[in-house]
Amino acid sequence: MMRYPRLFAHFLRFSFSRAMEFRFDFFFRIAMDGVWYAHNIAFFWIVYRHIPLFGGWTFDQMLVFAAGVFLADAIQMTLFSNNMWMFPNYVNKGDLDYYLVRPVSSLFFLSLRDFAANSFVNLLMSIGFFAWAIAHYPVALGAGPIAAFVLLLLLGCFLHYCLQMIFLIPVFWLQSTGGLREIFWSLDRYTGRPHGIFTGYMRKMLVSVLPFALIVSFPTYALFDGLTWALLAHMAGVTAAAFLIMLAMWSRGLRAYSSASS
Amino acid sequence: MRLFWSIVGVQVRKRMAYRTDFWINSIVAFAAELGVAYFIVAAMFSGGDRVGEFSRHGMLLYYISVILIGKVVRSTDMEHVIAGDIYDGSLSRYLVYPTSFFFMKYATQIGSLVPSLVQIFLFGAWVPFVLGVPEGLQITPWTVAMCAVALFLGNALHFLVTYPIELVSFWADNCWSLMVLHRIVAGLLGGVLLPLTLFPAWSQKVLAILPFKYMFSFPVDALLGRVTPAAFFQGVGVAIGWCAIMACISAMVWRRGTLQYTGVGM
Repeated sequence: MMRYPRLFAHFLRFSFSRAMEFRFDFFFRIAMDGVWYAHNIAFFWIVYRHIPLFGGWTFDQMLVFAAGVFLADAIQMTLFSNNMWMFPNYVNKGDLDYYLVRPVSSLFFLSLRDFAANSFVNLLMSIGFFAWAIAHYPVALGAGPIAAFVLLLLLGCFLHYCLQMIFLIPVFWLQSTGGLREIFWSLDRYTGRPHGIFTGYMRKMLVSVLPFALIVSFPTYALFDGLTWALLAHMAGVTAAAFLIMLAMWSRGLRAYSSASS
Repeated sequence: MRLFWSIVGVQVRKRMAYRTDFWINSIVAFAAELGVAYFIVAAMFSGGDRVGEFSRHGMLLYYISVILIGKVVRSTDMEHVIAGDIYDGSLSRYLVYPTSFFFMKYATQIGSLVPSLVQIFLFGAWVPFVLGVPEGLQITPWTVAMCAVALFLGNALHFLVTYPIELVSFWADNCWSLMVLHRIVAGLLGGVLLPLTLFPAWSQKVLAILPFKYMFSFPVDALLGRVTPAAFFQGVGVAIGWCAIMACISAMVWRRGTLQYTGVGM
């Protein structure tokens, strides 16, 4: 049981030491994410200069939502993004063998091996911004709702990981995921907007079949309006379904994998 | 010029080689962007008929135009191509060709535009008929011609701004983050995220001086008849000025970079 946390600790040590070898990229990725945070805040700030409510939320509520988006993005970039980027290359070049022969879960190894140290700095920045947004909020939110938000957000991040894997695993059959990866990042735009702005079948789709609007919006909704069993069941159910679909696809993909190494 | 159009032709054929992949990506990416824009507009107009100087249909028309024009201006295929040539050492072959690297890459960029222009026509031609052209806006042959000129300048300016950023690869181990930084800043300050007229009054002079407006917002405003002829020529002048400045910076960075290029690849 302790094997996986120990292994992850090794991943962290290795990743931090490697990150400092490429200092230009290290510092500029921090700057890049900082500018991305500023541009998202600027978007909402300009919108709220013209309207009082957007998706049913005030500007203060939207700042908390934006903080959630930054947190989710930072977690994804820190833990998964480098690994997800390389995964199709491993399949196509036969380098996946390295992961498959290890006496640990190949999915765990593949998904978490490369920890992005520069994005970890952005994670700290986004935590700071979240703390400021909560403190700035005109009404005291309470430790309970904030804890529920954090837990639901972590669930949302895991859902985001499952969705990304679902779009990448077809590389086992297609040999190229350029198209599917682009489709995923196109749909990922919906993560950064509150689900309250979507209506009709689009909203239903974005909180179920393609649950991109669930990832940050539902935790934020729970923070302001209270966590209900229905919301928790919905989010847990969608995440569990995405996880099971991912596992099934992964298992089938491995059966289709033909190593290219000799 | 014959060499220029030959390179353009090769790039067009290369881009159209993977047609299914290309069209699936184009349609889904456009639909996703349009979907987000549609619901943002719907949410912004849920409480009233006007936001700034825009009506609901006017803003929707603006977003559709900026999405399509952005595809032409950005020429997505060209991102990281120059940096890739420097990193893997393939720049070496360009250095021995009897023509400049800049010329060849610009020709390649123009070639990669052709599919984007087809997309504009296919995805954009239906818009005036479905949405109509709201009051206060107009799309006429004259505005289309102004847009074509502004689009050509916007594409050239975008290339000239990203070219020296990619040349940072001569010194830095990875310039991907700089390119993304540029994309984020250009998206906000160029009017892709929101029309620039919604920005505060104190920022308008700054936005008019910066080059980003002339990549995205200016061609869209020209198309929709939101600029007077005098303002159009003034904008063209500013865009040409920025092209000249960025061309000088590009030449300087190229000269310094090639002095230390070793061509062994990474």
